[in-house]
Amino acid sequence: MSVEIFTTVMTLASSLVLLAGIAILWRRSLPAYIHAFARQSFFIVVAVLVLAARERDRELVLVALLMFALKVVFMPAALRRVQRHVGADADVRPYVNTPVSLAIAGILTLVAYAVAQPVVALSHLPTRGGMPLALASVFVGLFIVASRRSALSQIVGFLVMENGIALLAVLATYGVPLIVELGVFLDVLLGFLVMQVFVYRIRDAFETTDVDRLRSLRH
Amino acid sequence: MFLLLMLAAYAAGAVTALALPPARGRRPAAACLALGALAGAVAGARVVITGQPVGWELPSSLPGLALLLELDPLGGFFLCLIGLVVLPAAIYAPDYLASPAAPDAAGGAHAADGGRVAGALTALFILSMSLVVAAGNVFTFLLCWEGMAVCSLLLVVGDGATEERRGAGRWYAGMAHAGFLLIAACLLLLAARTSGGAFADIRGASYGLGTGARNAMFLMALFGFGSKAGLVPLQGWLPRAHPAAPSHVSALMSGAMLKLGLYGFLRVVFDLLGGGPPWWGGLALALGIISALYGVLYALLERDLKRLLAYSSIENLGLIFMGAGLGLVFHGAGRGDLAALALLASLFHAFNHAAFKGLLFMGAGSVVRATGTRDLEAMGGLIKRMPWTAACTLVGAMAIAALPPLNGFASEWLLFQSLMAGVGVAGPLFAVAMAMSVGALALTGGLAAACFVKAFGITFLALPRGRAAAEAAESPRLMRLAMLIPAAACVLLGILAPSFGRFTAAALAAVPWLDPSSASFRLDAGFEVRDGFGRIAPAVLALLLLGSAAAAWGAVRLLASRRRRVGETWGCGRIGQTSRMEYTAAAFAEPLLRVFGDLLRPTRDLTIEFHPESKYFVRSIGYRTRVRAWLEEDLAGAIRRLLRPLGGSGRLIQSGSVHLYIAYVFAALLAFLLLARWM
Amino acid sequence: MIGAGGGATGLGAILVEVLQGLLALLLAPGIVGLVRFIKARLQGRRGAPPWQPYRELAKLFGKEMVVSRNASWIFGVAPYVVFASTLAVALLVPMLAAPLPIDRAGDLIVVVYLLLLGTFAIGLAGLDPGSAFGGMGSSRALTIAALAEPTIALAVFALAVPAGSTNLGRIVARAIEDPGGALSPGHLMALAALFIVMLAEAGRLPVDNPATHLELTMIHEAMILEYSGRSLALLEWAAFLKFFVFLSLLANLGLPWGVALNPGASAVLVAAAILIVKVALLAAAVAVLETRLAKLRLFRVPELLSVSFLLALLAITSSFLVE
Repeated sequence: MSVEIFTTVMTLASSLVLLAGIAILWRRSLPAYIHAFARQSFFIVVAVLVLAARERDRELVLVALLMFALKVVFMPAALRRVQRHVGADADVRPYVNTPVSLAIAGILTLVAYAVAQPVVALSHLPTRGGMPLALASVFVGLFIVASRRSALSQIVGFLVMENGIALLAVLATYGVPLIVELGVFLDVLLGFLVMQVFVYRIRDAFETTDVDRLRSLRH
Repeated sequence: MFLLLMLAAYAAGAVTALALPPARGRRPAAACLALGALAGAVAGARVVITGQPVGWELPSSLPGLALLLELDPLGGFFLCLIGLVVLPAAIYAPDYLASPAAPDAAGGAHAADGGRVAGALTALFILSMSLVVAAGNVFTFLLCWEGMAVCSLLLVVGDGATEERRGAGRWYAGMAHAGFLLIAACLLLLAARTSGGAFADIRGASYGLGTGARNAMFLMALFGFGSKAGLVPLQGWLPRAHPAAPSHVSALMSGAMLKLGLYGFLRVVFDLLGGGPPWWGGLALALGIISALYGVLYALLERDLKRLLAYSSIENLGLIFMGAGLGLVFHGAGRGDLAALALLASLFHAFNHAAFKGLLFMGAGSVVRATGTRDLEAMGGLIKRMPWTAACTLVGAMAIAALPPLNGFASEWLLFQSLMAGVGVAGPLFAVAMAMSVGALALTGGLAAACFVKAFGITFLALPRGRAAAEAAESPRLMRLAMLIPAAACVLLGILAPSFGRFTAAALAAVPWLDPSSASFRLDAGFEVRDGFGRIAPAVLALLLLGSAAAAWGAVRLLASRRRRVGETWGCGRIGQTSRMEYTAAAFAEPLLRVFGDLLRPTRDLTIEFHPESKYFVRSIGYRTRVRAWLEEDLAGAIRRLLRPLGGSGRLIQSGSVHLYIAYVFAALLAFLLLARWM
Repeated sequence: MIGAGGGATGLGAILVEVLQGLLALLLAPGIVGLVRFIKARLQGRRGAPPWQPYRELAKLFGKEMVVSRNASWIFGVAPYVVFASTLAVALLVPMLAAPLPIDRAGDLIVVVYLLLLGTFAIGLAGLDPGSAFGGMGSSRALTIAALAEPTIALAVFALAVPAGSTNLGRIVARAIEDPGGALSPGHLMALAALFIVMLAEAGRLPVDNPATHLELTMIHEAMILEYSGRSLALLEWAAFLKFFVFLSLLANLGLPWGVALNPGASAVLVAAAILIVKVALLAAAVAVLETRLAKLRLFRVPELLSVSFLLALLAITSSFLVE
């Protein structure tokens, strides 16, 4: 694989990861959110596989497979189960309407480019073109967490952010050592499980997963 | 020679209007004005083509107070522009003013003197506009500028009989004078370093100014001239003053006077200050974009025909200042070739706007004269009763919506190309800013098309929505002739755009540090920008369109069935269509009002009156939506609150006694003399 | 206007130009018929054969025209304006060979504003007979057209700046010479953005339903509700042509291979064959897409258009901000 094509493919994959994250802002229902997240994770898996093929690195293939199992299969399934369990709470009730959300995503991407510019300028990796895009998907994930009311959609936002970080790690270091990657996976999994428990608790206490209701705890 | 002829003709126009009784004096006065307009246009065109400035001086014993006229190519270009507006407006005026049906919009015509003063003021207004662009020193410039402001103010206020006109007068007076103060301060500071304040001397002297002083002067010029051009946030007077004035005066104000804001800006910032750092241009560009979007959005929602046109003028002046600002950015970045391109777009659009906005205001005047109202919701179906007005207005509406091959498209195309040229000039973030500007420009274009489909469609098409509209009659012959002139200009300037582009480029030769010979455009049969980055040939396009239409028409004529029957409009089976079933102006704009609801903040009232017996039967439904121009009103409110205490303290020295005022003047004189002695 | 710069000159170029216009005019109804046919099959219906639109046009041209008594001359002229502007666009878009001399007459910006000219004319014609449906249609059509403009402009920007020209012939020629650029994210995202706006401009799902018979949901159909006979035939044909032009523009920007760089007879014929295949494939894709999508509520259309705007913006950032 020539360097130019490799660069183009990696940038393309990073763009797709970001677009899948942005797609969440345009969708309105939780199942759609979960689906978009699964798709985003799938694009990262593809990116890792391409990298593995170029570097002929078996560990990276292992990472990709683990990632696939965890983020494309297990977590979306678990999220769907939680969503079914919690009930007909499929609406995500954003604070910010869709066009404004999309505009903010555009601005966040510009900011990501501005912030990442020094790093990109220093780097000599052929994958550096994707770094601002990965950073932008971290920002978009944070924005989803901040702007959506339902607790489940906040979890999705968190996962999108984590995906962005994972992509950044892949692009910037050509894949961290397997052991570190495993630790991160474990972390994410634990965080995910804890949040899942929280969602159940919130719902038991308030009969909804709208985190706005947590405000009433002040009194 | 032609310059003097122009001055004489305008002066004669003023005298004629004042001396003869209105019924007999209007036509001779109009003939004088038309002659003056032609002479002015010829004088301007000659200067542009030959590149030789012409001048004339009335010396004075006092330093700095000499009247100095010096017409260079840039001024000549604007003199042509003024001529293009004045000529049809002069032809239009007599019949328009004489019409017994002319409603209150006809302004001072029905004042006690029968409009003599108004006629003379119009001539003086035109005269002072023409002198502004010919002024060769600071004193002449300021004198004519103020004369132009005062004459137009008096024309807007008219007899002051309605609250609308008085309110418009207050807004206009406030804005015009605030702007004048800024301009005067800027120019006097510039002139302070020379002996006579002649522009030629200032050019050489402005190099030595410090950065802070130059920045301050730039800001004063931008906001001073910007207030005349109606840039946001100084646009508040425009939608008030333009509708209140008689329509031919509105055409003059919107078509010509607003452009002098651009002229002043170019003259001071490019010519006298010689350009500056890129942020100057960036600021002007940003203000231009905001004004363009602001103007078109409010124009879209407006239901008063003349206010709609006034808001659209804000939009177009925004586009014009986008070009000027962009030119300043390029100039600051050392790209004189691109700056020439951006300024070409700006000047070209200014000229085009003079053509179609003058036309549209005259069309609106004819409609208002025929129906007695400016309310779109009371019009409709006028195309059948006023075919000439409708056809001319349609040309104007299509030109202002930038549809090819008319003139608006040529200049917007140049503006698009100049924005795209900005990509390589500064860093990548600037390139993205250029992309966003392109997006904003395109949005403006799209919204303008929607706006003028609404304005034309609701006014002229479908069934009349009121009695007055149903009984409207076509305007007299002279008024129709007057509208045909700018309509023809819109078509010709579009098809012959490259030739006119050469003329415009010649006017740019007056701006030093710009070199049109090395500019990044070529004009032969078409436009070519930046070595083939963009190319169009408007004449070929027009031929292509005409050819396709003719081919389609011929084929249909030959091959298709020719049977034709007149029937009813489909109303879901309901017989008998009335105008109440038509779409209204408010309904037309409603989807866009919703889309931009967060910006426009409309208030909606829905009142439903139920039948007393059962609430399942509705007697009447009232739906009212109102969009407040909150930016204008809140800003004005804030300024008023700020100034009120000041005004209160100012009252202390006001007693109404003439002697006291003379004493003030005397004291001020003494104080200045002492000051001058000891400084 | 024929001179240096263009690849082709003289009589051959004019022949190619005429061939292209005829090809577009003749193929356009068939492509729309193909979309309808594939959709019907995907939905489990037998559907009319793909050449049904030709029969419809022939029938409409032979029929009597009924004109509302409230309509003015605008109503009669508008179909010709719409048809002529669309045909002019069809001649400006490089389909078979690039760049042709006509490329110097108009660029991508001209194409955008010619389409706006058509929308303007049909918007006025919608208001002319005074029916509420017509007004509703033109209000909605102009709203969508206005909101689509920024995306189109940004996409033009994203395509033109890397190619070094706004003229379509040069953009396509450049894409053939540099195939790597066609895969770059900037180019792809710009095309995706353009695709969304084109669906909106051509009145396809999810923005407008070309098959609807409910007046309240119509956009394009509501504007032309009053038309009949030969005028309707012209408008329908213009709509088919517009769709065809969009598809071939996308095909030639996305997969430029096959477009002849010199207007030799054999190269042009091959180019025509390849063009038909590409456009048919794209039409099939549109049919599949339309089967899967429901029409959006009118007030979600701006959201869709802001998605496409964002795509275009991302296209620009990724092509300019990375070195």
